[in-house]
This record gives sequence, structure tokens and C-alpha cells, in this order.
Amino acid sequence: MSFSSLDFYLATVVVIFGVDVLSAWGLNLQYGYAGIPNFSFIVFQAAGAYTAAILTLGPMTATSGQTYVAGTHVPFPVALLAAMAAGAALSAVIGVFAMKRMRADYQAAILLILALILNQFIVTDTSLFNGTSGLANVSRPLGSLVNPSTTGWQWAYAALVWAICAVVLFAVQRLSRSSWGRALRAQRDHDAAAAALGCNVVALKMQVFVIGGAIAGLSGGLLVFYLQAFNTASWGYEETLAIFVSILIGGVANNWGVILGTFLVQIVFVEVPNLLPQFGYIGLVDALEWVVIGLLWMAAIALRPQGVIPERRVRAERFGLPALRRAPPVAAAAAAPGQQGAHEERLGAAGGASRR
Amino acid sequence: MSSVVVESIGFGIVDASIISIGAMGFSLQFGLTNVFNIAYGTVLTLGAFAAYLAEQWGVVGWYDVLIGAGVGVIATWLIGKGILATFARRNLGLFELITVSLAVELVVQYSVDAADGEQLFSYSFDQGRALRFLGMVFTVTEVEIIGVAVGAFVLLECLLRLTRTGKALRAVAEEPRLARACGIPTSRIVNVAWVLSGALAGVAGVVYIINSLTVSAFTGTDFLPLLLAAAILGRAGSVTGAVVASLAIGIATQLVAAVGGTGYSTIAGFGILVLVLLARPGGVTSGLALKTEVTL
Amino acid sequence: MLAPGDLRPLVEVEDLVVSYGAVRAVDGVTISVAPGEVLGIVGPNGAGKSSLLAAVGGQLRPTSGRIRLDGVDVTKLSPHRRARRGVVRTFQDTSEFGRLTVFENLLVAGLGMHGASLYAATVGARAQARRTATAAARAAELLARFELEPMRDTYAMELSGGQRRLVEVMRGLMREPKLMLLDEPTVGVAPHLSEQLRREYRRIAASGVAVLMIEHVLEVVEEVSDRVVVMDNGSVIAEGTYDEVMQSQAVREAYLG
Repeated sequence: MSFSSLDFYLATVVVIFGVDVLSAWGLNLQYGYAGIPNFSFIVFQAAGAYTAAILTLGPMTATSGQTYVAGTHVPFPVALLAAMAAGAALSAVIGVFAMKRMRADYQAAILLILALILNQFIVTDTSLFNGTSGLANVSRPLGSLVNPSTTGWQWAYAALVWAICAVVLFAVQRLSRSSWGRALRAQRDHDAAAAALGCNVVALKMQVFVIGGAIAGLSGGLLVFYLQAFNTASWGYEETLAIFVSILIGGVANNWGVILGTFLVQIVFVEVPNLLPQFGYIGLVDALEWVVIGLLWMAAIALRPQGVIPERRVRAERFGLPALRRAPPVAAAAAAPGQQGAHEERLGAAGGASRR
Repeated sequence: MSSVVVESIGFGIVDASIISIGAMGFSLQFGLTNVFNIAYGTVLTLGAFAAYLAEQWGVVGWYDVLIGAGVGVIATWLIGKGILATFARRNLGLFELITVSLAVELVVQYSVDAADGEQLFSYSFDQGRALRFLGMVFTVTEVEIIGVAVGAFVLLECLLRLTRTGKALRAVAEEPRLARACGIPTSRIVNVAWVLSGALAGVAGVVYIINSLTVSAFTGTDFLPLLLAAAILGRAGSVTGAVVASLAIGIATQLVAAVGGTGYSTIAGFGILVLVLLARPGGVTSGLALKTEVTL
Repeated sequence: MLAPGDLRPLVEVEDLVVSYGAVRAVDGVTISVAPGEVLGIVGPNGAGKSSLLAAVGGQLRPTSGRIRLDGVDVTKLSPHRRARRGVVRTFQDTSEFGRLTVFENLLVAGLGMHGASLYAATVGARAQARRTATAAARAAELLARFELEPMRDTYAMELSGGQRRLVEVMRGLMREPKLMLLDEPTVGVAPHLSEQLRREYRRIAASGVAVLMIEHVLEVVEEVSDRVVVMDNGSVIAEGTYDEVMQSQAVREAYLG
């Protein structure tokens, strides 16, 4: 591998890593903090990607070789904002139905099937976004600053992606540590109790669903400007599962842990194998990757359903209470004999999202 | 009625027969265990592949159905008693169990995909001559497929209504706690449900390949939403309900296909499942009325 | 001091019916609770006690009948709106927020609707900080009163059954409630904590809160309740003081079969 192609590859990995971390934060808000099993997350990334593409491809002509709707030219920042808005708007529409109070497994199934439906719909109705072939020839932005055909451009874009990541991290950390984030986590653990304490649970879920959708849309916009193309194969439901596994491995409701999880899953397991010498037929490595992701998933659920890096404990000192002399919590639990059995049982059961 | 509509109804009945075989199995399994087992789809795939391999080794014709049923039972047993029950013992909730079954689906599906070189395999089965009936056209094989579905339905209904085990099975599906309190051996009954549903899934896979003559690693997964829709629309645990719902879904999707093309028929089928999940009383009513107990 | 019952009832339930399909879990129940009064509900399993409590709390939508709180019809209000009018409850299986610390459990309760508001958490951050400080001070008080200070940074899922029950009650008190609904509030609680809880229930009622309590342990009912209602098959079959209902013929039949 020559130096320039390694340079090219590294820059690509850095960009993809940034985009994947962004989406993982979006899904972590929804799943990790709010307990929403959003198995259609990738759809909102696709909404952002398609939006950003058609808004910069220009009007469709007979010679453009692809069919799409609403083609126009807008500046790059506007296209990114529109991508966010598209993710948010689609989330709002789907949220109206899917954020109702229902069995957690039904909700998961509904969102999963919605992802299949929407993908099939784009495949079938080729006039919208060119069906399976998808959109291509999206031009790289900021071409007036750096020559888009150089690796210099790639690194500049990688820096931009990570700058946006920093902003989003700041925002999601602020949100998740706020009283609103606490209410989200409360309804995740017991929705009926949160409602009985005055929290509007449906509104909370709807808000976080839309915010997560906006982040997904943004990640899609950033991705399409780098890849310059986007098609239905890029947003199969399996892609959402990969993000889920990153969260399960990195840390449910822990935004720093999610970076590590994304690195392990999306980079070590998904990207690095592309560097290895190709073996078997084309596609064998991809298929094996999904097998590994499924196995990782089961291992993560079996070993630590709350994630490998747990959620940060918020201590009362943060709210101006005097520091506590450490008393081991175990001693207090032992003080209630006869409760031990029930206690253990609940510990195991408390791992998941609200099951009511 | 125009002839297109009548013909579509005919195709719909054939589809419904295939759907109903799988849906009866899923309905039994889901009704008893309360686990939304997405890995059921891969059992269909495995059943269909069993038929394909059997044909390669010279076992042809309807014998393949028996082979598919056997493979279905083994696969379902491994998934249900081997994997899902192990996870359920760790006190995981309904959501964790659906994710585990999804992960199982992913692993099996892509293992098959990796092993078979991502191909679409062709199966050959003599479809027989075309028969006309009330403006609908069926091949001899299609009539036989309808026969398999009707046979499975009648057998299951007899089992559920006439035998002791069947009655116990229905009792456990309705009220697991009560059934246990009455001394019904719940775990044995659940085992029966795993075996029956596995056999039905395997048969559904074989019947699918007999009808469509192709199979890939994704066959079962693609077909799964229709089965789920039928099983849940027909009320989980009810075999009759599953059959009636399968008819409705089979005909509806074929009508959509006649009007809008096959792509839209898939969308319609999946759409029905989403609507059913959203509207099904068990899915949306208040928390206290929900059954959250898992029996594995 | 006013005796309970002299006051206008805080909550009035009128001819309430809750059905699941063909089954009437609650079949025409009429009860009322005055401020400062503890009304105990007893009855065999499946008598409809939990459904009645859920209908009052808003977790279940009644089929017919009326629920008035402070004279206002709340029958159709969602649980979070009822909570804002001063209704709090505990659940039969304790309802702690397992992956929140004890202190955070209390904060969520103290902030209530403001805590769940995205606007208050972002744009209105300054007012929210004030509210949070007030709630934190109140939480510190309650932690001292319930002797749970050492556990304040412990995840609620790590607590014992009795301590979870305490957290639920403390969460209710964070909201300065008017009506407290208790669903089997001493079940699964170790004896020494049970004693503490019973004292607290009396103390809560003494502060003017109306308490509606489902309880199986008759000893607890006798000690805590001012008045007792006996339910069977969805209907009230006896009402009065503990001693009165225990002597009723209907109650003996219901319990002895």
C-alpha cells in the first residue's frame, strides 16, 4: 500500500468514525437515556443524506442520468441544516405513532419494520431518490478553499466533522445532565412512576426522538458530502444494529463510553477488515462482519446489559449537599435480612428499559 | 369484478396458505411464551435450505416437507431452549429478549449467507397443469399447497380441542399463572409449543420454496413480517385467528401487487404489521392490563 | 383539632366502573377520603382494589363513573396532570428509578413537570437552578428524616425492598401532596422498616394529606387506617371503622368463602 493511498484511507476512517460517533450519540440519547428502542435510526440518517444531496445536486436534467425530486443548489451550511431538519421532521411524523405507550418489544418491532418499509419504498419508487442505484455526483463542499481532489481536502473535512462532533458532544452532555435528561432517565426506568410524579412522558419521548433524529440527519448530511454518493444499500436495518452494539459495548447513557464503543465496533470490526487482504468471494467479509456483530450483541446483553462502561453516577455534592463519608452500600442492604433474595432478583431485572 | 381482481384473490389464497402455516406456528409460540421471537424467520430459511439440499441429494417431491419440518424443530429447539431460555433466566425483559432474537436472526442469516456465497439458489418442482376455478387459476402444486395448509390447520385444531395436551396448551396461552396454579406442567407444554411451531416454520419454508422455486439466506427474514402480522392480527395463541388473518393479508397484498406492482405489495404487507402492532389492544392499553410475563 | 371526616372530602369517587373486556374489575364503587384521613381498602385477591387505585391515580381509564379531586372532576385527566394537582402514589411492585441515585429519585419528584420541560432545562436554566436548589434542600431534609443520608448516592436498584419503599414515599413527600395512594405499602419490607413506614404514614396523614391505602396485613390496616372499606368482586361490601367491618357478616363470608 503506497503512502498516498494509506493517507487517503486514514482520512476516510477518521471521517467515518466521526459520522458514526455522531449517530451513536443521537441513538444513545434515544435508547441509552430515554429507553426508546429506535431500530429505524438509520432511516433518519438516510433522510439527512438524501436531503443534503438533492439540495446541492441542482435541478434534475435529462442528462444527469439519475432521477430525484426537488433538486436545487443551496450553500453547504444550509444543506447541512436542512439535513438536520429532515431527520427531525421525519422523526416527528413517525414519533406521533411510535412514541405511544406500548409494550417495549412491540415498539421495537414497529420501528424495525418501518425501517424495512421505507427502504423498500425508496427502492420501489425510483422517481424520488433514484431507487437502488441511489444518488451520485454530489460535489464536495468548500472547493473554493481546498482543492477537493486532494487528501488535504479530506483531512480538512475530517477536521470539520470532528469540530461538529465537539459541538454536538457539548450539546448532548448539557442536555443529558440537565433536569430534562434526569427526567428522561427516570421515565426510562419506570414510566408510570415518572408520569405519576408530573412528568409528561409522551412529550419527553417525542422531544428526545426528534432531537436524536436531527443528530441522525446531520450525520447523514456530513456522510453524503464525503462519499459523494448514497444509495439504499447504505441504510439497511443492520446498520442500526451496528450502532446499537457500539452503544451496548461502549456504555449505555455514557457519551464518552460511546466513542470507545464506536471505535471498537465501527472501526476495528467494520473498517479494519477492509485493510486485510481480500479472501473468499466478494462479500464474504461483510457477511462475517454481521455474524460477529450479532455475536457481540448477544455477549453484551448477556454480560452487561447496561453497557461495559456504566452511566456516570451523579452525586448529591453537585447540588450543594455536604460531602458524604463513604459508607459501603452493601452494609445497608445486609441490614434488611430476608430482602436479599428479592434484592438480587430485582438487580437483574433492573438492567433493561422500562418493561411496562 | 374484473378478472384481474379475481385472479389476484386466487394468488392471494395461495400466498395465504404459505403465510398461514408459518403464522399458526408463530401464534402458538408467541401466545405461549410471550417472546417476540424474530429468529423465527431464519427457521423458515433453514427449512427451505433443507429442502434445497435434500433435492441436491436426490430426495425430491413432498418428502422434502418432512425433512423441512425436522430441521425446523431442531433449529427452533436450539434457538428457543438453547439461547432464548438462557437469556430469559437472567431476568431480562421483553425488550432484551426481542433484541437477542434479532441478534440470533442476524447471526444465522449471515452465517448462511457467508456459507452459501451470497447466492440465490434454484429449486425445481413440477408445478403441474393449470386448473380453473371460479375465474381463478391454480396449478396442481398450488392446490396441494392449499391442501397442506388446510391439513395443518385441521390437525392443529383437533390437537388443541380434542387432546389433553392441546387443552392444557390453550390454558397456558390464556392464563399462564392460573394454569401453573392448577398444576398444569407449564414447561412441558411450552416444549410442545416449541416443537409444533418449529415444525410449522420448517414446513412453511419448504412450501415457500416449492412455490417460489428460489431460496437465499434472506428468504425467511423477508417473509417474516407477513407471518407476524397474521399471527398478531389473529390474536396470538389462536390458530383459527392466524388462518383468517393470513387470508386477509394474502389477498390484500396480492391486490396491491396487481394495482401497484410487487414492490408495493411488500410495503403493504409490512404496513399491515405496523398498523396491527399499533392497534392491537394488548399492545397499547394501559400498563396494568399488559402481560409482561415470559414463559420459556 | 378537627377530627377526620369533619372536613369536606378531598377525593370523591362516584359509582366507578373499570372493565377489562367483559370482566368488571371495579363495579360501581363510591368512596371518599377527607384531608388528614387514612382510608384502608382490604379484600381478597382480585377484588378490584388495585384497579380502583389505578383509576384514581389515572393509570387506568374508568369505563364509567366520576372522580373528583378538591371538587374538580379529574376523571379524564392523564396521570401527569393529576400529579400536578397533588396526587402521588406508590406501586405494588416498587417503582424506584433503578439507575438513578436515591437523591436523583427525589430531585425528579421535586422538580416534577418543570424537570421534564425542555424549555425550563435550556432557556429557563436560571429559574430551573433556583427550583433545583429548593428541591435539593427539601431532599436533604427528607433524607435526614428517613435516615437514608448514607444511601443518597446509591443507585436505587441497589437498595433493599424496604428502602425502595421508603424512597417511593419520600418521592411522594417531595411533591407536598394532597392525596397519597399506597398500594400494599408494607409488602416485602423488613420488620424494623415496616414499623418506621407505619409511623410515617400516620405522620403524613396528620399533616393533612388524604391517604388511600390498599393493604393485606390486617394488623397494619388496624394500626394505620381511620376508616376501612372492604371490597369483594369489584364492589364495596362493608365500610366503617376497623372493628365495625371485622364484625360484619358480609366480610366474614367473603373471607371464609
